[in-house]
Amino acid sequence: MEAIWLYQFRLIVIGDSTVGKSCLIRRFTEGRFAQVSDPTVGVDFFSRLVEIEPGKRIKLQIWDTAGQERFRSITRAYYRNSVGGLLLFDITNRRSFQNVHEWLEETKVHVQPYQIVFVLVGHKCDLDTQRQVTRHEAEKLAAAYGMKYIETSARDAINVEKAFTDLTRDIYELVKRGDITIQEGWEGVKSGFVPNVVHSSEEVVKSERRCLC
Amino acid sequence: MSDKDDTETPVVTEATSLLEDGNSEPAKNSESVDQSTKPESKPEPIVSTRKRPEPKPSTDLETSEVLSVQASQAAGKETVSRDEPQTGWGYWGRWGKSLLSSASATVATVGQGISNVIEKAETSLGIPSPSEISTEDQCATGETDANENGNSSTMIGPFGVFSTISTAVQSTGKSVISGGLDALEFIGKKTMDVIAEGDPGFKRTKGLMNRNSTLSQVLREAKEKEEQWTSNEVTMDTDKKTHYGLLFDEFQGLSHLEALEMLSRESEIKVKSILSSLSGEELETLKLELEQLKEAFSLAEFCEEEEEEKKGDEDFTKEITELFSQLHVSSKPEKLARARNTAYEWIRTSLAKPSEEKGGGEKQLEGEKTEQLNKNSVEDIHAFAIRSLAELTACSIELFHKTAALVLHGRKQKVTAIERSRTLSQMTVVLCKELSSLSKEFTTCLTTAGVKEKADILNPLITAVFLEASNSASYIQDAFQLLLPVLEISLIENKTELPEA
Repeated sequence: MEAIWLYQFRLIVIGDSTVGKSCLIRRFTEGRFAQVSDPTVGVDFFSRLVEIEPGKRIKLQIWDTAGQERFRSITRAYYRNSVGGLLLFDITNRRSFQNVHEWLEETKVHVQPYQIVFVLVGHKCDLDTQRQVTRHEAEKLAAAYGMKYIETSARDAINVEKAFTDLTRDIYELVKRGDITIQEGWEGVKSGFVPNVVHSSEEVVKSERRCLC
Repeated sequence: MSDKDDTETPVVTEATSLLEDGNSEPAKNSESVDQSTKPESKPEPIVSTRKRPEPKPSTDLETSEVLSVQASQAAGKETVSRDEPQTGWGYWGRWGKSLLSSASATVATVGQGISNVIEKAETSLGIPSPSEISTEDQCATGETDANENGNSSTMIGPFGVFSTISTAVQSTGKSVISGGLDALEFIGKKTMDVIAEGDPGFKRTKGLMNRNSTLSQVLREAKEKEEQWTSNEVTMDTDKKTHYGLLFDEFQGLSHLEALEMLSRESEIKVKSILSSLSGEELETLKLELEQLKEAFSLAEFCEEEEEEKKGDEDFTKEITELFSQLHVSSKPEKLARARNTAYEWIRTSLAKPSEEKGGGEKQLEGEKTEQLNKNSVEDIHAFAIRSLAELTACSIELFHKTAALVLHGRKQKVTAIERSRTLSQMTVVLCKELSSLSKEFTTCLTTAGVKEKADILNPLITAVFLEASNSASYIQDAFQLLLPVLEISLIENKTELPEA
């Protein structure tokens, strides 16, 4: 992994248990699909670099949260320091779609005073024959909350890259426009290191190293 | 508290051992106490107990009575551990610890801590034989000379490391302790220059000296510095390979550590508020139980016997898996075992190469594997060693984090908090031992591959591997300590049958 990146964004992935959050992230970060996976305990961490424009890389730190209710008190703690989020439901599971509303309410309470840019993700779109949620109603719901909607499949690697990079681009635009700013004590967005800026710090480090005792 | 370890003058072993015996008596722990402190077998006690210092915060809930007991315990601990010849990790771990908890440490203390280790690394390079030093232990000046020579003159053939490494690790502890700190300080200062030259980790340890902050903060700052540093390098790609902090973060070690710290902090607050809501007998009983729990956290034993190290791969996996099953949490240490086995596999193939070469040219055509292996320079080995250490440490901390989450929010289990604490304590020991033997394997690789290298190329690499291994062990031990409040709250909840939060 390259060390040079413009910004670091923290993204959180939420949604009901078994909608496929971990599989989606693994497909994105590891490029493979895990057939079986244990339920996530608390929270897990992944990262990947995304090139949004030639030469402009963003480091994504992705927080994979447990969908299970019993870990809710842990996962809640992660909303605050996220700049973006993927809210997943399983298109073959109506219940998980109905809970989208609750998830949004929950984050709203815990993210203050910050905001999370969400994208609504209808997952497991490879299982179209078992679909219980139409694209239309999902789009309608997303629009009602000002979110984009995208359908993905970790198994068939459909739209996985797009889901993450589109979100990253949107956040990047907001950062560029100054709608989202880097703040002390908030980890959602962090500035990276640009090579030529750091020149002087090398000397600092060097002299530091000389002074040892 | 632990920071004083290296600065105070040695105290007679017997008196202090008795003191310790008297204090750590409670019946349940008698087994380990028996093992660990036997003043009579003084000349060659193989087993050493490493009592962990108190975790930095979290002492507030003690009664003053308890505190005084602990203080005397701590006093016993310090003196005893100083006088016992430290075997492998007891020594390493403590050294690392002294750096980590060094918020209040003087620079000199830390300097000596480092110099001890360097001395060890130097000694293991075959320069002054440890036994020579310890026989001369009354004459500090003589030693200065010996070590100074060792430090500045050229080293004996690199194979010296290979052969003397185990004895050095066993006996340097003593020679260092009895050897006069001035000498060490001198060597230390000299050698630190060497380390600082090639080792980014050193920046981190330097960071550790100055700040009073959490482990993850320290590591994060170090990582950020390294990031800044590497982003400026043209040869960034190769450079990054040896930056422990960056690698540790890449394996998500930092995130898991932060997550663990968060759970630890929350639990600590809960424990405090529960304690403050209790009174009278109820409070006393609970305090007593919490005290027992704390003991399980302070009895990490580092009884490293050399033979033990030579055990096979399956044993580590088996051992750690077994310990995990005793915890009754649903997570499994597969990732850790895999990382560990990959490292050993790499070492095995890497070591296979030189012997083949010796055996003659014919075997060299064993196929691509050998071909590729021949490219393993000392730099490659060093890079892989640092990477493996970072990965293993990150995996270990991930396990601790998951354990904490499951202890707090998992389904109810029959296992008690104290049982879990003991298992975790054992696990910490196993993990640190594993890092110890892994680092030795890597340095063996380095010395084997670096036969033709000059000492000033090889030495810093070897030292860096030992240094990072020691740091790794410290991180794991600190992460382990973060579990204490978590198990305290678990104990309280089991006891009072509070509904789970």
